[in-house]
Amino acid sequence: MQRHDVLVVGAGLAGQRAALEAVRAGLDVGMLSKLHPLRSHSAAAQGGINASLGPQDSVKDHVFDTVKGSDYLADQDAVEILCREAGPIVIEMEHFGTIFNRAADGSLDRRAFGGASYNRTIFSADRTGLALLQGLYEELSREKRLKVYEEWSALDLVVRGGRVQGVVALDRKSGNIDGFAARAVVIATGPFGRTYPNTTNSHASTGDGTALAYRAGAFLKDMEMVQFHPTCLPGSWILITEGARGEGGILRNGKGERFMSRYAPNKLELASRDVVSRAIATEVQEGRGFPDGTCRLELMHLGREKVETKLQEIVEFSRNFAGIDPVVEGIPVYPGQHYMMGGVSTNPRAETNISGLFAAGEAACVSVHGANRLGANSLLETLVYGKIAGTNAASSASKAPASDLSQADVDRAVQRVHAIWDRKQGEPPAVIRNDMQKAMREDVGIYRTPQQLEAARAKLVELQKRYLNVYVQDKSTTYNVNLTDALELGYLLDLAQAIVAAAILRTESRGAHVRLDFPKRDDANWLKHILVQSSPKGPALSFLPVTVTSYQPMERHY
Amino acid sequence: MAMVKVPIDVHRGSPGASGHFDHFVLDLDEHTPVLTALLKIRDEIDPTLTLRYSCRQAICGSCAMRVNGKSRLACVTQVGPELAKRGKIVLEPMGNQPLLRDLVVDQQPFWERYHRIEPYLLPDPAHPMPVGKENPMSPEQVSQFQETPRCIACASCFSACPALDSDPNFLGPMALAKLYRFVVDPRDGGFHRRLEMVQNQSLWLCLRCNLCVEACPKDVRPAERIVDLKWMANQELGKLEPGSKHSIGFAENIQEGGLLNERKLAMDSLGLVGALGQLPKAIAMMRHGRSIKKHPPIQGKEDLDVIYRELAGREDLQHRAFTREGGVRGKSPPSTSAVPTATAATSSAPESPPANRPVSKGPTEGGKA
Repeated sequence: MQRHDVLVVGAGLAGQRAALEAVRAGLDVGMLSKLHPLRSHSAAAQGGINASLGPQDSVKDHVFDTVKGSDYLADQDAVEILCREAGPIVIEMEHFGTIFNRAADGSLDRRAFGGASYNRTIFSADRTGLALLQGLYEELSREKRLKVYEEWSALDLVVRGGRVQGVVALDRKSGNIDGFAARAVVIATGPFGRTYPNTTNSHASTGDGTALAYRAGAFLKDMEMVQFHPTCLPGSWILITEGARGEGGILRNGKGERFMSRYAPNKLELASRDVVSRAIATEVQEGRGFPDGTCRLELMHLGREKVETKLQEIVEFSRNFAGIDPVVEGIPVYPGQHYMMGGVSTNPRAETNISGLFAAGEAACVSVHGANRLGANSLLETLVYGKIAGTNAASSASKAPASDLSQADVDRAVQRVHAIWDRKQGEPPAVIRNDMQKAMREDVGIYRTPQQLEAARAKLVELQKRYLNVYVQDKSTTYNVNLTDALELGYLLDLAQAIVAAAILRTESRGAHVRLDFPKRDDANWLKHILVQSSPKGPALSFLPVTVTSYQPMERHY
Repeated sequence: MAMVKVPIDVHRGSPGASGHFDHFVLDLDEHTPVLTALLKIRDEIDPTLTLRYSCRQAICGSCAMRVNGKSRLACVTQVGPELAKRGKIVLEPMGNQPLLRDLVVDQQPFWERYHRIEPYLLPDPAHPMPVGKENPMSPEQVSQFQETPRCIACASCFSACPALDSDPNFLGPMALAKLYRFVVDPRDGGFHRRLEMVQNQSLWLCLRCNLCVEACPKDVRPAERIVDLKWMANQELGKLEPGSKHSIGFAENIQEGGLLNERKLAMDSLGLVGALGQLPKAIAMMRHGRSIKKHPPIQGKEDLDVIYRELAGREDLQHRAFTREGGVRGKSPPSTSAVPTATAATSSAPESPPANRPVSKGPTEGGKA
């Protein structure tokens, strides 16, 4: 049994930032992750991080753009914190050693991004996530007091007496299952995009912490808001950064038209993501796509040097995964699942409804992104709210009684895992996963109908039943991916059901959630969050008002 | 889209248990990444096959393994070209790290070296961080980092490196490339200390075989960064260490007569006492017919002189032209990419002094105060 004041689950940008803050508050901190911290999905973020550091720009403009981008579902008090802390947190990352691109005068260079009034996206070529992850991990490496548990998968979040007591986890290398007693726990396990097959997310993006918090009684929020990124490579679903359009890339349909002029006459390719994704899907559906069912992202006119210096990774991805050279030809693109606006519901202090339990980053929902996240606001959120979660977890832990996590808690998790592991026959996790992903792709996509959503709901109930018979053929205790696959599938099934339940309930179209039977935004009835809580009968739904401070909802034009 | 039959041999088993290869044949498009093929095996044939993988887009660094004997990231290595090379695809775990099972190794030796270099900015008392704003850094200074920020810590270079076997002190290519990233960072206060650490520890253990350059999927070119470090170490610290003396002695030795004078080289590198210690080796060499005498100058020595003059005159190569008196001569910061990339192309700053410290401190000092 391990014992810490604060345990952070997940070691991407949000988790590391939380751990750094808690350890520098003088507490005994553990950080547990199923990947080595430098292998976290934060590394895959490409385009940049927003901070209103430009001469004309202001925090107020950043707040407004973010609220407008969210289709007015974001909580404006939380957005104000996000945008106010943006400058300081980016500068802090620079001081930690992050290598950013620079303007000629030596200041942090800024590029244009979707839905933003000014160039406010600080970047490091097209690997900003990697640059931040390296910079933060380097800073964290100073802290010899921090105990890092690499390649441990969380199995259980233990809550008793309304307070979190700790986590039970599996050491992937040895198969050992151990308890991690903690006075406060931060969930920062990132996204759950693997509910979809057409996702830009890494294979590890299975929502472990979000699902464990949900099972332990935490509310989820905004789960119906699933962002489809406009420009992905179909097939591999690898992301082509919005920075490509920020640098001047344009979209064309099969007829050679720059079609965004029909959908967003002012911002064109740099409208918000929901708008651009729907535009591409509509062009293809109405027969104006390329024969392969895509549109083209063109960078050729930018010139070889700009493309190869500022979009190096994109050039590599296109060559490696699509056999395309973006310097001389258009990149075939189609929208793919990219970001979950939803997650464990927190307030602007990163607190959940369970005392001692905090959440931050994509695993959480504050909500700063509402119904649609603006590009380059997610890296920002991981750092700002990761830090807030670390501060408040540290303060909560110092006031909390000692954890009562016991061997009985560990034994329960061991029994649950062995019930799956010792099964002699059943259905392979890959088969159930493929069926779940097919249902999510076909029926819970960019455009939604009640019939499709109901079909997905029924399918997921069936899959949940089949999951009770999931079969792990691999009996080894050493790095058993077959076993962790099966456990992660359980998390994904829970979260997929929460997504579908909320999507059925929201009878309006807002941001990323578009109902063909309710094509308009309905502020009179739906300017509110949907909360989802786990119950024996499945997802239980309730509401939470949206916090509006400065900006009353208006119609969106780009 | 050409579908081909792809025979794949995958290493299976744990240490202790007898390792073996399982044979699979898949129908795949020739552009299919090896990782996709492995996941297909896991999903459709044998779910007990284990490997590390996550992002499948060459950014998380999880899926490095040996593909037909070479250390590669499985997610960006396509089956077609590999098949053409060997008629099949043989997949083995990485080298220089103990096997856990199948294709998964224990990466502790790799990460331990990463942490050994103090992988964080060391404070520079003369230049504290500016309050409330960023350290200014010109695009030219950013280009000094060369390709090192692209490193994804996949350990392909570590797996491929033959020098790691010879000495546990050797940091290996990734950690040294990482060290380079700090040495050239104008925000870092550890220039001297870092160079001293590697000068004494492991810089000169690199064999310059370039296998790390070949293995790196992100074009970090670790061996070239190691050469850069050697150049900076020689300049900053003088040639105090046998490795650096050896490299300089070698260059002068050849310049003199065109052939290696091993007796003189041993003296140059190790000094009189050290060279005497090499006597048994020298005797053994002579016994095997290898001369350690001074050779007469080669024919066409004039051509060699031209080469040396040419090298000494080349701004971009000056850090490689060593002299006994001046340590390392040269003005331009390291820019050694054999194939100039766009980043390297912007880095030419012929008037800037060697190493990177003075460049960075000079024009930006006002901003830092």
